[in-house]
Amino acid sequence: MTDIRAPETDPFDPAAERDDPPRPGPGSPGAGTFGLTDWLKWAWRQLTSMRIALILLFLLALASVPGSILPQQGNDAPGVQQYYTSHPDLAPWLNRLGLFNVFAAPWFAAIYLLLFASLVGCVVPRTFRLAGSARTLPPRAPRNLSRLPRSAEYVTTLPPADAAQVAARVLSGHGFRLRRPAASEGADEASEGRQWVSAEKGYLREAGNLLFHLALLGVLVSVALGGLFGYKADRLLVQGQTFADTASALDEFHPGRFVTDANLARFTMTLDKFTATYISSGEQAGQPSSFDAKVTYTGSAGSPARTADLDVNRPVAVDGAKVYLIGHGYAPVFKVTDASGHVVYNQATPFVAGAAGNFLSEGVVKVPDAQPDQLGFTGVFVPTAVNVSGTLESVFPAADNPVVSLIAYAGNLGENSGASQSVYQMDTTGMKRLTTRPQVLTPGQSLKLPGGRGTITFTGYVPWVSLAITHDPGQLPALICGMAALGGLLLSFMIRRRRVFVRASAGQQGAGQQGAGQDGTTVQVGGLARTDASGGFEAEFAALAAELRSAHERAAPAAQPVQPQPEGE
Amino acid sequence: MPVNVALGHLSNAFLIATLVIYSLSVFAFAGDFAFGRPRRAAAARGQQEARDRTAALATVGAAPVAAGSATAETSVSEPSEPPGDPGPPAAPGAGGPVAGRPADGAMPDLAVPAFRAIRAAGRWVTTAVLFSSAGVAAHLTAVITRGLAVHRAPWGNMYEFVTALTCIAALFFLFVLIRYQAWTLGVFVMGAVVVTLGLAETLIYTAPGDLVPALQSYWLDIHVTAMTLATGIFFVAAVLGFVYLWIDRYTRRVAAGRAAPGHGIIRRLPSTEQIDRLTYRTVVFGFPVWTFGVIAGAIWADQAWGRYWGWDPVETWAFITWVLYAAFLHARATAGWRGRRAHYVQLLGFTSLIFNILVVQVFIAGLHSYSGVAG
Repeated sequence: MTDIRAPETDPFDPAAERDDPPRPGPGSPGAGTFGLTDWLKWAWRQLTSMRIALILLFLLALASVPGSILPQQGNDAPGVQQYYTSHPDLAPWLNRLGLFNVFAAPWFAAIYLLLFASLVGCVVPRTFRLAGSARTLPPRAPRNLSRLPRSAEYVTTLPPADAAQVAARVLSGHGFRLRRPAASEGADEASEGRQWVSAEKGYLREAGNLLFHLALLGVLVSVALGGLFGYKADRLLVQGQTFADTASALDEFHPGRFVTDANLARFTMTLDKFTATYISSGEQAGQPSSFDAKVTYTGSAGSPARTADLDVNRPVAVDGAKVYLIGHGYAPVFKVTDASGHVVYNQATPFVAGAAGNFLSEGVVKVPDAQPDQLGFTGVFVPTAVNVSGTLESVFPAADNPVVSLIAYAGNLGENSGASQSVYQMDTTGMKRLTTRPQVLTPGQSLKLPGGRGTITFTGYVPWVSLAITHDPGQLPALICGMAALGGLLLSFMIRRRRVFVRASAGQQGAGQQGAGQDGTTVQVGGLARTDASGGFEAEFAALAAELRSAHERAAPAAQPVQPQPEGE
Repeated sequence: MPVNVALGHLSNAFLIATLVIYSLSVFAFAGDFAFGRPRRAAAARGQQEARDRTAALATVGAAPVAAGSATAETSVSEPSEPPGDPGPPAAPGAGGPVAGRPADGAMPDLAVPAFRAIRAAGRWVTTAVLFSSAGVAAHLTAVITRGLAVHRAPWGNMYEFVTALTCIAALFFLFVLIRYQAWTLGVFVMGAVVVTLGLAETLIYTAPGDLVPALQSYWLDIHVTAMTLATGIFFVAAVLGFVYLWIDRYTRRVAAGRAAPGHGIIRRLPSTEQIDRLTYRTVVFGFPVWTFGVIAGAIWADQAWGRYWGWDPVETWAFITWVLYAAFLHARATAGWRGRRAHYVQLLGFTSLIFNILVVQVFIAGLHSYSGVAG
């Protein structure tokens, strides 16, 4: 069964299998004169063997597992922080092993680089072999075609040479590559009235296999390209605000190795309006049903302002970068007057949704300009507030009954201490809490701070969106390589490499010779396929054999009486 | 558009009907083992017919052909091994370096038209195949009406996904059953389908509903459809893998003298070689579909999240699955890895796929948290 033990007994490509037993060359380590070059050759042979490739594949799968189970720096930096807090002893060790950044870890790179080295070591020689086999002709027809996996036999009145000629025409019409006896080698056979044709087809199978593996290499190169020349950035944008795409204006900026601020696409973007709608009833109540961020943007080269609707699955392309809507939230607007009556703060302050759900969001308001002391507030924004036995809960993500709950502090915000602070967190160590209980405000309500320190007014709220800005030059190459890999896969799975042989011999062949007529030509057709992929060669061979036969019948002088076939069919 | 409640109910009713009909088909497949016509007799008869044909048409380098007989079909033969003789072919010309199908077991003679072969296999098999077909029809109806009820591709949450993938598995197996006359495997494949579908129905039933905006994309139709198809196909391959390992284990136990030969069920199953080949073809069919699904997912991820590959947990596990199935395909071509080990690799691949669906998508936070199942 060729298809089960294909490689070793594969008549098509005896050298194609990587796992073949000893090749000529250095033996194994341990032999007396095993020099450095021998070692290197030995190592290369090991690396390019199918067994090592398999092991590397397993390692690759295994090595990916921690990357999905432990939080990763790239995807979930807060998760990593949290892991450090909850496992203070273990986390540093995991970090040392690169387990919080598996897919950029040296050992992960080592696995896939070895795998690809193994792949190159296998694919390149195979490419040469394929090129070679595309130049050489199919092998001579074997003597006994009935021993092949598929065979058929019939008799025609054509002389052997003509029968072979007709067969060659039929096979070449099907796109087979042909080989006929050369003048020298065919002489003796032809003189006996024996003629043969060898035909082979399906070279694309191996080509597809190679294309698949090379395209995988291409995917790797494309990913590297994106990593070196691409960038990712995040920006939170409050409705009504505008930002310019410069490194300083971005909340987060992850440039590739060869990317500088100068490479950023210089565009500006304004969030005109953001709407989120939610399913209001039924089992799915509270589930978002649509998002729409209306933005106006201006490209770098003085291009006119354009508007676009940004949605989760609809990014906007501008200046070679793409802008994605990846999140949203509420930004309550606060107005703060200090003790002297000056308005020292009046702006929308983005709050971030916490784990409580329904956009119960947390945030801080820092008022460094307030006199006499700096003011600070920690707060919770509740879009649809319901008082559940003393605690506020949000029962719906839309802002149907928005309230904020604030705790006021006065003192030193600690912003001059040098350590950079998150805008979403406040260090209250240098501050005095002004209100014992959280104070709840509805839009328009104010809170008078004790001791005449001023007033904070919850004037309203606006939505914000978080945008991802990415540029990845490896994207298109990766897509092309991915499709090429798929195409190669399909070619190598769907195309059969097969050979068909035809022998035409004068007289009646066959074991018995019983009841044979004296004249006529016996035509034997034999075929074999490398069937380790799809089946179906039986049917193809049967059709081909039938076609050959009818071609021979048509070509034959119509002198033969038609004899009915003995029953049994 | 609001959910069409009436169609939703219709879909649920069809799914219950599907479960009942599938169960009946499993019962009938099992009945074939228990009470059916002994396979051996049928196989022997089939072979006798094949031999008659062979003799009449004189192909395997033996008997003569009436000269110039224009009416005769060109006969096409394949050498067949004598039944029960694993050794080299005895008669010259009756076999070759490349052996034909072992004669015993199912899938004996594909030259016999499938439907006639099914009828010939006895009333139990006929009944089972009819039930399976009816079940698949009901299942398809359930999936389609669900899609019509929610106005989208009916694989937007885990319940719908399992419903659809079992439908693909059953449909695909029906094809395999007819194409390769593999009804003796029906009790295993359809049994697994019934259990999976039943568990989905009882544990993770989700009422028809709308999708979150993140899923409102035509890429849902492309990416998740491909993943559903591939999973359904790999499902069949996995069941075949289990059957393979079971027979293989039994065969080795017999060889070691630790089990009596002639196991009532295994005797009637296809040989390990046939199952191996069938599994391989199944995986070969599923692997490009999975590859396409991963690529389509990458394109969608690029549209939705701004990167085509970000090692999100679900992406990582899709990658692991892909690598393991690739390893299976390579293992079959590697000395020392064929057979049992290759099937372990294949089952490991399916395990990773299931782990991705049941554990990663439900319990591990990531961007793919759409299962609709509370973690």
